[in-house]
Amino acid sequence: MTQGAPPGAAVPAAGPNLPAAAAGRPAARRLPAGLVPAALGRLGQPLFWLLLILFILVPAGSSLILVVSPRLFGQGQQWLTLTYLSHAFNGAAGVAIVNSLWVSAAAAALGVAIGFPIAWLAGRTTLPGRRLVSGSMWLVLLLPSWLPALGWERLVQPDGVMYRIGLDWPWVTHAIMGPAGVVLLLGLRSVPFTFLAITAALGGLGQEFEDAARAHGAGRAATLRLIVPMLAPAIWSALAIGFAESISDFGVAATLAYNSNFSLATYQLYAAINNFPPSFPAASALGAMLVAAVAIPLALQARALRGRSYQMLSGRTRQVIRRQLSRAGTAWSTGGIALFYVVALGVPGFGAVSGSLLGDFGGSFNLTLANYRAVFHQAGQIGPLERSLVYAAITASIAVAGGFIAAWLLAQRRARSSRLLDFLLLSAIALPSVVFAAGYIFAYNLPVWSSIGISLYQTALLLIIAYTAASLPTSARVLSGTVSQLPPSLRDAARTHGAGSLSAWARGVLPVVSRPLVMAWLLAFAGVFLELPISQLLYQPSSPPASVAIQDNLGNYHFGVGLAQSVLAVAVALAAVGLVLGGYRLAAPAGWRRIGSATRG
Amino acid sequence: MTPAALRLRTALVTGVVGAGVLGLVACSSPGSSGSSGSAGTPAVSASAAAAKVPLVVYSAQGYDHAMTAAFTKATGIPVKLDDNSTGPLLTQIEASKNNPNWGLLWVDGATAFAGLDQQGLLQKGYEPKVSWNALGQQSLPTDKSYTPTGVTLVAAVVYNSAKVKTPPTSFQQLLSPQWKGQVGMDDPAQSGPTYPLIAGMMNSLGGISQGEKYFASLKANGLIIHPTNGPTLQALTSGQINVALVQSSAAAGAAISDKKLVVTYLKPATLLPSAIGIDAKAPAAERQEAEKFIAFVLSPAGQKVMQSGDPTGDSLYYPVLQGVSPLAALPPLPSVTTQTINPYTWGSREANINTWFDANIVR
Repeated sequence: MTQGAPPGAAVPAAGPNLPAAAAGRPAARRLPAGLVPAALGRLGQPLFWLLLILFILVPAGSSLILVVSPRLFGQGQQWLTLTYLSHAFNGAAGVAIVNSLWVSAAAAALGVAIGFPIAWLAGRTTLPGRRLVSGSMWLVLLLPSWLPALGWERLVQPDGVMYRIGLDWPWVTHAIMGPAGVVLLLGLRSVPFTFLAITAALGGLGQEFEDAARAHGAGRAATLRLIVPMLAPAIWSALAIGFAESISDFGVAATLAYNSNFSLATYQLYAAINNFPPSFPAASALGAMLVAAVAIPLALQARALRGRSYQMLSGRTRQVIRRQLSRAGTAWSTGGIALFYVVALGVPGFGAVSGSLLGDFGGSFNLTLANYRAVFHQAGQIGPLERSLVYAAITASIAVAGGFIAAWLLAQRRARSSRLLDFLLLSAIALPSVVFAAGYIFAYNLPVWSSIGISLYQTALLLIIAYTAASLPTSARVLSGTVSQLPPSLRDAARTHGAGSLSAWARGVLPVVSRPLVMAWLLAFAGVFLELPISQLLYQPSSPPASVAIQDNLGNYHFGVGLAQSVLAVAVALAAVGLVLGGYRLAAPAGWRRIGSATRG
Repeated sequence: MTPAALRLRTALVTGVVGAGVLGLVACSSPGSSGSSGSAGTPAVSASAAAAKVPLVVYSAQGYDHAMTAAFTKATGIPVKLDDNSTGPLLTQIEASKNNPNWGLLWVDGATAFAGLDQQGLLQKGYEPKVSWNALGQQSLPTDKSYTPTGVTLVAAVVYNSAKVKTPPTSFQQLLSPQWKGQVGMDDPAQSGPTYPLIAGMMNSLGGISQGEKYFASLKANGLIIHPTNGPTLQALTSGQINVALVQSSAAAGAAISDKKLVVTYLKPATLLPSAIGIDAKAPAAERQEAEKFIAFVLSPAGQKVMQSGDPTGDSLYYPVLQGVSPLAALPPLPSVTTQTINPYTWGSREANINTWFDANIVR
């Protein structure tokens, strides 16, 4: 739901030790309550449900009810109408939805086509520099999608950098500034999700399967034919995430797609809200359509995987021997992966950094640090970055804690309540964040709240709650695989050895989940740090977060300053990720980090 | 790991989460709320207003940080500034109209204020005691539901003098093959001043359908749309387009930054007042502070801040008061042929015309 955050409709486990999570659904097995501290079970569970209802169901529901009953929220005359819903099928809105559907499907397929080989090369072969690959994937994830789009535009637009350095290639301009470019950018953005899902699945796929195939005389191709279907849950999961991520993306829709006169549903939705007077019911109708669209890949995924078993984890998973690449294989693989990073990071990085080093309007090629000086010296330019850092850190901490509890509840086989929770979290993931944020205004700015002395709208509190509500479903998805795999014996063993309830959790459970927790934290952090739609509608006056300040500069007369601010923001986010990963490496015992990994080196 | 180290780690984890919760509690303290006071209380006396509730200012003006700081310094009234583009500010106002949270709104374009006024969202009947010049007098609405603070023009025509030797002399010329693929403008869905530009063009051509025909022809001649003034001007300096139709303040500012750019005006340019409107539902004390804010903005001290707060942007406006001259970068207003559009007539058409423009011209 958050822009730039992975709306993991079936989000992959973020660590290499969580294969079942890639199947999207937790294993169907009842978990003992003791996996989370006992007190939570009694008092905490109803409270947790209350918070979910208040902060996810109520705002999301308000937005959706608005479509059929605008008058309920003072947004029109009709108490009950289907007009707005029918408008979503016709005219410009209908075209935009069709565009979004096919572009997202193509982008998801492209993401798998690129991400699968990269994950296999990094996870299973002696590819040089393989350790760098997963780190760099974080960089791809960290970039808000509008930044690569701007970088590409700057390069290929008529009279852009490409033309100025003497490459007169109008066909490149036509290819990028159109549907193909949109698919390319959204596809590249889906690559990290595929990479994480496949890496996670490969982590649990021990050497024994390949050995068995080879022992029965299978050649390399036949072995591959055996292995690839075993990864079906991860591949389907990656397709579903790529689709959900692409269809709810706003960054590319509002930049490259918009400038190419190629209308996508999220932009259409934004235009409905930004018109004057804005039509919230029309925007919410488009939001409802997008929520419904995400059901398509999920249904396909469920159908493809139904009735088959992919249980391959066991305590005896054999460590994998990395395949030795031939010299030609090494050259091709390194070249291919390098090309991916050039296209995904190099080009947009060049665009953004060069833009930030040019004068305010980028009319010449004279390099200057004026924009960076402006960021550091002008009042109100650095504050937003610091503020977003704090917001993202608080949000990620709460979302991960809440996500862990939700994942634990999902893994309980109380059929009705876990199914309800599952549905609630998935719907929240699919709802575009601008509609979700408007729902927060409708729900939490009703006069009744003021009359009892609660004024939440435009406070940092409501902004952080909204960020958290937007991040929690994804965190829950990320963690659900791990949590569903936790055997009760872990905690029992600690209890048997005399540990108290909390300490048993810390000694028995925490080591196993520590790595996925860190990864989920980083995902939530990265998603919130440069989040735009929720920030735009809910931020506290006088205290704009980074994305609002950057957009303000980009949209006005300070294009270069905005780009400088973006470059700094990405650098800050990257430093934070590095700090957390480095801190985990230093602080966590070696055993915590090794658990569940089937691959060496 | 020793049990002691484990306890320390657990405590650390608990501490981090606890600190987050504490941070949230701190954020939610009453002082951080956007506005306070209860709606519907009777108008308060000046002495009661001295209690000084925070004045919530929604503004899209480039000099608003400087102005609110100067206002607080001069009066002691605390201000919470929501500085954003016009679009998001109006969206916030419309989404929260059940329970508004703003004290005053300060943006460009009388049509937006007329729209708010027609919905009953603005306080009527306030006029500061100042000496208006002719621009000010003609920009003041009869019900005094908003107060003009300055005037800019749409469209200013900016061209790249290094590439364009004979600039266009009429809007009709832009439809000729000579300008094919070279003209750019903003998108009314994203840029506040662009709807008045479109409405002004329709008004001068004789009606909506004539205006639609003009923009359709302009599109057929390769019109390029960017979201706002910034990207459109960037497209001009980078050479993607050679002529940009934008707001005069942005045009003059860009010409200061880049000497190749020259600004000219075609007949007619539409007057675009920037104005302040007061939230009709704000507490009386806050409304009184908003009136003080308007008076401060139109005082000599306030005008000085307006003209110095954003020297290459919004400070480039035509004053609405006698005795205040525009900045030197602006051409004398009498040298430009201008027109005024009726904000109430054109304001109510905004949603439909923007939707038409979005569906037929933008894509």
